[in-house]
Amino acid sequence: MINAYILTIMRPGQTDRAIKEMRKLGNIEKISVVAGEYDIVIRVRVKSLGNLLKVTDKIQLIDGVKKTTTQVIEKELAL
Amino acid sequence: MKIRRKYLFYILAFTSAIIAAGVAAIDAVISSVYIPNSLAFSFSCFLVGTLISLLILLIFSIPIKGKSLGSKIIDPSFKRLRLVRKEEIKYHIPAGIGNAILTIGYLSLLSIFGDPSTVLPFSQIVILYLVLIESITEKNIPTLSEIQSSVIVTFGAMLGSISLTGIINLESLAIVFLVINPAWVMFSIYQRKLKMMKIDKHPNDALNIRFWNVIFACLFTAIVVFIYDFIMGTSHILGGITASIEHFGWVALTMGVTFFSYVFYIRALGIGKASVTQAVRASTFLFAIPFSLMLSYFNIIPPFSTDPIMILIKMISTILVILGIVSFALTLIKAYVFINTKPGYPIEEIMQKLWEIGGVTRVTATAGYYDFIVKIRTRTLVKGYEKIIRKLDEIEAIKEYKWESVLKEWENI
Repeated sequence: MINAYILTIMRPGQTDRAIKEMRKLGNIEKISVVAGEYDIVIRVRVKSLGNLLKVTDKIQLIDGVKKTTTQVIEKELAL
Repeated sequence: MKIRRKYLFYILAFTSAIIAAGVAAIDAVISSVYIPNSLAFSFSCFLVGTLISLLILLIFSIPIKGKSLGSKIIDPSFKRLRLVRKEEIKYHIPAGIGNAILTIGYLSLLSIFGDPSTVLPFSQIVILYLVLIESITEKNIPTLSEIQSSVIVTFGAMLGSISLTGIINLESLAIVFLVINPAWVMFSIYQRKLKMMKIDKHPNDALNIRFWNVIFACLFTAIVVFIYDFIMGTSHILGGITASIEHFGWVALTMGVTFFSYVFYIRALGIGKASVTQAVRASTFLFAIPFSLMLSYFNIIPPFSTDPIMILIKMISTILVILGIVSFALTLIKAYVFINTKPGYPIEEIMQKLWEIGGVTRVTATAGYYDFIVKIRTRTLVKGYEKIIRKLDEIEAIKEYKWESVLKEWENI
């Protein structure tokens, strides 16, 4: 399995509706609305890089999403 | 379905608390009417509990459209009943000992008191033990708000422990402080460790954890009761077996319901800290009050006092517990830190340094624009600055970092 973070920058005023759309998508583990350079941090879990591309595509097609940056997780330590 | 992690946590912890209150009422009936001997009752509980838990797990293992019934309605991590893994045994042993001892202590307390709403609050003092232990084991020093909330819940629970009949029993306090609470701490900490484990690269499931805990607890209860019988020349082991046969229906009922209470509790433990889960579960004694009134109505426990002072004390305790729980819920701050590092420093070394920072719950090395993404959990922003930012500044390998506070979060359950 491949885990990744997709860091999203939104156009103003469209975050709420975009989150509703994101919550309907599969392969999404967590959606965090954040304050800072980015607006939404999405954690995804997919079977292959091909599937990661599909999920990223779906996110980019959501109204209000201005830019995404994908960070593929190589190693992780967690509580 | 994606719901907010916080909501899921409170749903699980409160559901567990409500079921636990019902269990306490059933236990009160069994203890006062059918099996008054607490040692025999404890052994009987785990003996029948093993059978009932096995039956429940077999039912939940039934596959429906590619997924097991248990994964659909109880815990998405559950696949089927499985054998205990070698790596789990080191946690199941202390969790089983903890459960065995706390059950014996709890049933002894119930046999002294009778009223479940009076028995349950005492054990909530365990929150203070947990806050202390977590500060050592999870590199998470308790904040002032955590201590305040714990103290509020504890005092609320202690006030609530004063029986509506107006009786305070000092013998029961000794059982709570010396037997139940230390055992409960051991039980909670190791159940949480089990829940945080990965089995075949998937999160461990609450159903198998509970089933194997009952088996280990049954084994340790048998040992404790056997030693007691050997020293005192009694025959509680035999009494437990006889009680299991004669009152199978009642014991099966209490252990069947207990199974679900603990499964929800274990799931909650996998989301929140043990102390916070315990704080929410402290509400059990509030839910136990209507059950106590019902038991009193049927003359199973003594009738309640209508003294306004006693009722006022119960109301104050209720408000304190709720206030403490709400205070816990509203004081958690989460953040992501995106980090870029300088070339020439080993990834593993940087990861370890980040991991050692208090409040860091997740460190991920990533491929992309950033080299690391770190997840932070802290009670206050001041603590976030003092304990985390200062530590990040000390790591030479870090070129730059960005702090992004989490405002709201949804999680796949």
